[in-house]
Amino acid sequence: MTRGKTSRRSWLLVPASKPDEIASAAKSGADVIVLDLVELVAENDKPAARQAVRGAIAAASASGSEVFAQIAPQFLGADLEAAVWPGLAGVVVSRAEAVEEIAEAAALIACFETEREMTADSVGIVPALETAKGNHAAYDILHASPRVCGATLGRADLVMDLRPEPNGELHLMPYLMQRLVILAGAAGVPPIGAWWRAPDRGLLATPENTYDAGHRGRAIGFKGAMCLKADQVAALNKAYERL
Amino acid sequence: MTRHKVRRSGLTMPVVTARFIDKAWTRGCDFIVLDLEDSVPQHLKAHARGLIKDAIPNVSKGGAEAFARINHDLMEADTEAVVWPGLKRIKYPKTEYAHEVRRLDEIITRLERERGIEPGTVEIDPSIETAVGVANVFDIASASPRVREFGASGGGYDLSRDLGVEMFVDFDQFAYIRGEAELATRTLGLGVRGAPFVPNTTGSVSDGERALRQAEAARRCGLRLGGGGLNPAVVESHNVGLTPTGEEVRDAHSVLEQYAIVQSAGETWKEIEGRVIDRYEADRARELLDWAQACAERNREKAEAVARAQSAATPKN
Repeated sequence: MTRGKTSRRSWLLVPASKPDEIASAAKSGADVIVLDLVELVAENDKPAARQAVRGAIAAASASGSEVFAQIAPQFLGADLEAAVWPGLAGVVVSRAEAVEEIAEAAALIACFETEREMTADSVGIVPALETAKGNHAAYDILHASPRVCGATLGRADLVMDLRPEPNGELHLMPYLMQRLVILAGAAGVPPIGAWWRAPDRGLLATPENTYDAGHRGRAIGFKGAMCLKADQVAALNKAYERL
Repeated sequence: MTRHKVRRSGLTMPVVTARFIDKAWTRGCDFIVLDLEDSVPQHLKAHARGLIKDAIPNVSKGGAEAFARINHDLMEADTEAVVWPGLKRIKYPKTEYAHEVRRLDEIITRLERERGIEPGTVEIDPSIETAVGVANVFDIASASPRVREFGASGGGYDLSRDLGVEMFVDFDQFAYIRGEAELATRTLGLGVRGAPFVPNTTGSVSDGERALRQAEAARRCGLRLGGGGLNPAVVESHNVGLTPTGEEVRDAHSVLEQYAIVQSAGETWKEIEGRVIDRYEADRARELLDWAQACAERNREKAEAVARAQSAATPKN
């Protein structure tokens, strides 16, 4: 298993349903491309997106990026069946809230790894703790399986509706970020995130602001961050270089 | 988000001071806290208890909800004195353990039964004011279904005394405590009573302008509930600061229109005029419109109650 050994500075999320975006993501220089089945795929497009993942893994890794898939706990079976194919390095479990979800995901992944003749234990799990419940249970969730290979707050600011305070910090996020860094350290996995400040909430941040967010994130212990635009990748690679 | 009661503004006042109590209904508060604790001197504690039952209808004439703050160390006797028809919540200072909350719940449950009050009416508002309380914050917040709102918004005087933390500094000295309390509150799905950090280096309790800045900061970062204050000068600031503005309401309508277009195009998000329109923005807009409506209803309810109280007080010729 190479988990935690490779450099994963930048994690670029792309909708699994959009081949054009995947092709340009492959050229972005991202250490990791995350094929999303949750956030960026409209409900009606989900069946087609699941069909597309197997082929998208090859497309996304064309220039050497590792490939993850982002899946939803309520569609664990369907999403994992669609995503766990040779070449997949791991899955991000969005809105993870319970140990059982991670344990169940780990068991399903093991089945597919065997069935599809993949290296055993090659697929990692990154729980995205985007809700209060998930963060409350973070310590247990991060210890739920040896497959857990990272931890992120994902889009907690949006899911929990945490908005800017007068000093520019997103409400509650400094606390949640520091808490995650500690608990990820306790679990021996890298915390993934950047310290965003108003007005940025992910999607539209400029490369400069992305670099600043990564620089601050690195300063408090994050080991790489997720982003949503190809032009944010270089900023994260720079902010998290030599980690 | 859970639909909360509209509790933006409140005043805590000594139940023994008649001139405060008699005017309470004119203050425009969403709630009034009848205090038996810090504002009542030791020798008046017993006397104060006898005043609560009549003070409840008196302070709620203008539509405010009546709450009471008891003494931690006199919990049983105080609770006996405050659970009367009309009381909506007991503020329990210096809570440190879940069993204290459960014990208070048992006493309230008995008194509600004995005094003909609908079971479950009286809420418990545990105050976190010591290090032990902070360490046990999740257990305390989850100790009783009577705890419906929670937070460490006060970040208060007692806590600073217990820990030796300075009160009036220009940085967020209570970030961890607030974070712990708010994470527990959100995990349990309770109403969040939080307060973003706004520097307060003077400690003034009657600065309406500062109170407005604080309440607006809370509203802008998505919080709805106020912790109240001590001086009538802050009430209107809290009411206004925690109510969505007309501009925010118009913006919410426009976000929902834009999101409908995004959805009908089969997209999950779109950048419109430098801003992301997605389901999160749409949820936030819907929630804001609900809250604006709840605030308007609450304002109307209070205005009607005040009008009734005024006409009852006017001598008829």
